[in-house]
Amino acid sequence: MLQVKAGDVHRMGLLFERYHRPLFRFLYHMLGRADVSEDLVQTVFYRMLKYRHTYTGDGEFRTWMYHLARNVLADEVRKNRHAAHHTDVADLADYLESGRVADADLEQAQEVAQLHRALACLSADNREVLLLSRFQELKYAEIARLLQTTEGAIKVRVHRALGELKTAYLRLAR
Amino acid sequence: MTCDFAHQQLAAYLAHELPAAAHAALEAHVASCPACQAELLATQRVWHALGRLPVPEPSARLRPEFYAMLAAFEAAPAPTHSGAGLWQWLRAFPLPRPALRLAYSLSLLGLGMGAGYWLHTPPRPTEADQPQVAALAAQVGQLRQVLLLTLLENSSATERLRAVSYTKELPTPTTRVVSALLSTLNQDANVNVRLATLEALAPLAHDPAVRLGLVHALPHQTSPLVQVALADLMAQLQERRSVPPLRALLQRADLDATVKNKLEQTIQFISTGRSTAPSLPSPHAPAPPSPPKSADTIAS
Repeated sequence: MLQVKAGDVHRMGLLFERYHRPLFRFLYHMLGRADVSEDLVQTVFYRMLKYRHTYTGDGEFRTWMYHLARNVLADEVRKNRHAAHHTDVADLADYLESGRVADADLEQAQEVAQLHRALACLSADNREVLLLSRFQELKYAEIARLLQTTEGAIKVRVHRALGELKTAYLRLAR
Repeated sequence: MTCDFAHQQLAAYLAHELPAAAHAALEAHVASCPACQAELLATQRVWHALGRLPVPEPSARLRPEFYAMLAAFEAAPAPTHSGAGLWQWLRAFPLPRPALRLAYSLSLLGLGMGAGYWLHTPPRPTEADQPQVAALAAQVGQLRQVLLLTLLENSSATERLRAVSYTKELPTPTTRVVSALLSTLNQDANVNVRLATLEALAPLAHDPAVRLGLVHALPHQTSPLVQVALADLMAQLQERRSVPPLRALLQRADLDATVKNKLEQTIQFISTGRSTAPSLPSPHAPAPPSPPKSADTIAS
């Protein structure tokens, strides 16, 4: 990224190849909509280019990327008022439960559907820390820097989020 | 280790966020506590399920769109030295906050004082400005004169009064203005306008033309007020040429008694250089010798 900042804009291609998938997953789980998430990935990379002079180089590039991603996400939510959160996920769950998938996969498919639903039940804040920790494999310290809080607070929040998810998941599994 | 504390550590344990010692301690506790073991298994199940959660791949359009955007960006690179960049640089400047505030306050104060000074200093006219100013003043004078002449034609007495009052603002009334004023004095229908005109012409009486005009105006006057005021002015000016018209006025049948008395006094004053005792007591013309004073009393 420092090379990009120094003017080697073409290097952004490398960063895109390495990070666009995790970024897409994060946005997808936060919004539950694949098409919008793709657009937002594009927006995040555009902002990286546009605001590359604000990248200081201290701290991980990923932290900065998620910082931009969270802003883009907040803009999107504010703009479109995603009341119907996770519509795609709900559709997926319905589809999986409708029995049109092979019996062998059914059990796992149901599990996935339940988990999606449980995840959708979480508050955006709790879902965010859980996603950052589990999917994006960010260290607590990085998440803390990203959310501008302490590592201890993140630890507590992840614990609560996971507990909440487990409760919702087990309730759905019954 | 209590079970509550162990529960709180589970998420961090699964995320490998625990320090080695705490990690080992938790494992030891879970091994000896069936309740915590069950809790760990349940949490672990969710954690692992979360890890296996399938995520759709971004569609094929994402990559080409990104490279198109990148190419467009390279073609027209945004300026790095933008306002935002400068602001960032300023913010990063190692300056103590109070000093910054003080400097800001002082600069604002200085700005205010500078603006005040600038606003209160009248601009000094440069030499190059002088002819322009003179030309402008001349133009304004001409405009006033035109306005005055136009207003004198107005049907409203108030407007005509206003026109007469403009005479004071004219630096040197031209002959046109003077003749317009004299004709107003002789012909205007309104007594007040005629009186005001006479008042306006009085300061110009040093001009021989104006003086003569005033003398010639005497026979035209029918209003007692104007007659008295004009007679007073003649006395004040010691205008001997006014005696014949004054005498002519005295012959008029419709002349007011007070005016008659006044005119006689005036003629006497002009002819001899001193006033005589009044033949009739008059409230308008008190005791002599004070023709100018009585002129003031009546004219005002």
